Amino acid sequence: MNFACYQKILVYGIAEPLGALYVPKMVAYPTPIVAGVSPGYGGQTIEGIPVFDLIEQAVEVVGAIDAAVFFVPPYEVLDAALEAIAAEIRQLIIVTEGVPPLDMVKLLREAETTETLIVGPNSPGIIVPGQILLGTHPAYCYQPGSVGLISRSGTLTYEVALELTRAGIGQSIAVGIGGDQILGSSLQQWLQILEEDDRTEAIVLIGEIGGESEEMAARYISEAIDKPVVAYIAGSTLPKGQPVGHAGAVIAAKIAGLGVEIGTAESKRLAFEQAGIPVADRPSKVPKLVQQALERLGRDRG
Amino acid sequence: MQLLLHLQFQILGTLKKVLFNFLLTKIVTLLKFPESLSLFALFGLKLMDLLEYQAKELFRQMGIPVLPSQRIDRPTDLKGLRIPFPIVLKSQVYIGARGKVGGIRFAENTIDAIAAAQAIFHLPILGKYPKVLLAEAKYNPDREFYLAVTLDSATRCPVLLGSQYGGIEVEAHLQHMRQVIVDQEFSPFYARRLALKMGLQGKLIASVSAVIEKMYRLLVDRDLDLVEINPLAVSANEELMALDGKVTVNDAALGRQPSLAALVAAIPNQPNPNPIACGVNIVELEGDIGVLCSGAGLTMATLDLLQKAKGKPANFVDLGGDYRHCCPPNVLQERLKQGLDLITQTKGVKVIVINILGGVASCLQVAEAIAAFLKWQAVNRQVPPLVVRLVGDQFHAARNLLAAIDVPVFESTDEAIAHTMALVTENANVTGKRSASLMLASA
Repeated sequence: MNFACYQKILVYGIAEPLGALYVPKMVAYPTPIVAGVSPGYGGQTIEGIPVFDLIEQAVEVVGAIDAAVFFVPPYEVLDAALEAIAAEIRQLIIVTEGVPPLDMVKLLREAETTETLIVGPNSPGIIVPGQILLGTHPAYCYQPGSVGLISRSGTLTYEVALELTRAGIGQSIAVGIGGDQILGSSLQQWLQILEEDDRTEAIVLIGEIGGESEEMAARYISEAIDKPVVAYIAGSTLPKGQPVGHAGAVIAAKIAGLGVEIGTAESKRLAFEQAGIPVADRPSKVPKLVQQALERLGRDRG
Repeated sequence: MQLLLHLQFQILGTLKKVLFNFLLTKIVTLLKFPESLSLFALFGLKLMDLLEYQAKELFRQMGIPVLPSQRIDRPTDLKGLRIPFPIVLKSQVYIGARGKVGGIRFAENTIDAIAAAQAIFHLPILGKYPKVLLAEAKYNPDREFYLAVTLDSATRCPVLLGSQYGGIEVEAHLQHMRQVIVDQEFSPFYARRLALKMGLQGKLIASVSAVIEKMYRLLVDRDLDLVEINPLAVSANEELMALDGKVTVNDAALGRQPSLAALVAAIPNQPNPNPIACGVNIVELEGDIGVLCSGAGLTMATLDLLQKAKGKPANFVDLGGDYRHCCPPNVLQERLKQGLDLITQTKGVKVIVINILGGVASCLQVAEAIAAFLKWQAVNRQVPPLVVRLVGDQFHAARNLLAAIDVPVFESTDEAIAHTMALVTENANVTGKRSASLMLASA
């Protein structure tokens, strides 16, 4: 899945406030946005991009679309995404926060039958440093290189990327899978994508307390991932019962209740350590652990 | 690439089957710690349980069997009771195990009922008094089952749960809890599958699966996170009755469920029923460092780093909300001001650390907002020293602007944390000296 060679990107909700804020940054990166869709704005031009009322009208004019980025309001996400799947777009990035979980359940059923990859919702999307920005990652945190980043958070992804960049370690791709309760793609799916990505030599997994996705990812890594993985987990000192921010973490913690081992930073750290994955105790330690992992890899190859 | 995707979906399918033992652990604690729910009203994300009488009204609308009941707002309402004695009076609070502390009482006649109602209205349960009681016909079950429908984020599907050992026994008999993942469009066979897994036979298969189906429809129609019936009473002649129920509303979907929004709004002490509102929330802790960050992940990392450096956060504010439609990021400056205002209202905050990364505002815009806040605050009260971490466009202009008003700006989180800790230590020394000289003076 080579995002860097994508030629035709569509932005759904280009006339929405979120679209208006982030589209200029995507265009400047430069991301090849060939069409925008915002019902009622058809025929207009925004940031030099032609706007259509319907995706199929856009496809008629600009041809097949490689990926679509969504900035539409939460209750319109399901419909817009189904429209994109019907127009045979197979990579969808949903930036919007607060999509009703049952809408996601419906959307994912459709995505599964059509083999569509969905990132988000409540996600900063994907960046291939120096190549393409499909979402909201701040360009100044990244530089091209060979380390792939997978994260449940937005700002923490930027933080770790910045530490890597400052240490002279560039990144092959970074993805925030999103913070909502039901997500389009999991940590495991992205581990597999980076495992098969030729430009990625090592993977950094950025997790946080709540839910069991890190525990599941740790198990998946020990079974299916050969590339070196380094982890960081945020929230180790947060008092019990005070999950922060992301709906996914909050809901999972709620169902998991308090005082359960699953979902704590400790349980996640243990899961990674059992899988032989070094865990950084702070974002600024990540570069050193990545360096060591790459050196080991070099020695093994040598 | 298509092949690769196909493989991934296959892997996902296998994972779904393997990972379901996690769910059991979840359910244990869902049952054990219902009171934990109140702790989650943070960051504009709320988990809202309806009260029992509201949940039962939804059950009734769906055709799930519930007992004749009546809402009691004051003890004298019992004079106009429309259900026959004997009755059960139940305190309408969000806390489980209310029966153990006297929140559930039986009454044989009006006089007893009024006395019981007065007692319950004056009985705090974990510090909360009920606003409403529920009077319900008394029912003597032969057996009690457990049923629930919820969403699982690991499999990203709705799940059905059931056990023949419901009521207060459910925890002790957790090994009997059965589950069915609804991985395609729902059809009643999923409910029958659960009924069979629960070990039901004969006409109970049809009647229990009919209840499960109605619970599922309720979950979907009303965008709920959880529909639970515990216990589902089974009479000697195998009639079913939902004796207690729980409904958890989904915050994100509340905006398109006006009737639920009205119910939630009527609940006392509930947060704003607006879906994912744009307000800034503060979480109070017990230390002396105020923390303001952008995004949940960075907030958690900053709190971790402070604690590692032996710092004690007094509170934290996550500005977050970059992808919220009601609150576009161009209002970051306004939210920053609100957040700082909340932090400075907490007593005992000695230093405030601000860690902002990403977003569409430039460093200079953030710096200007901080400077404006300080200028505005200077009139009202003394603001503790600030330590600011910024990255991105116009960093140097931002640093110069804030340097002029003695606010240090750093490019890395570690540096900002180190400087914050230096200020805390300095502050402690000053206070130490001050109290030492006070002691001297009083001696």
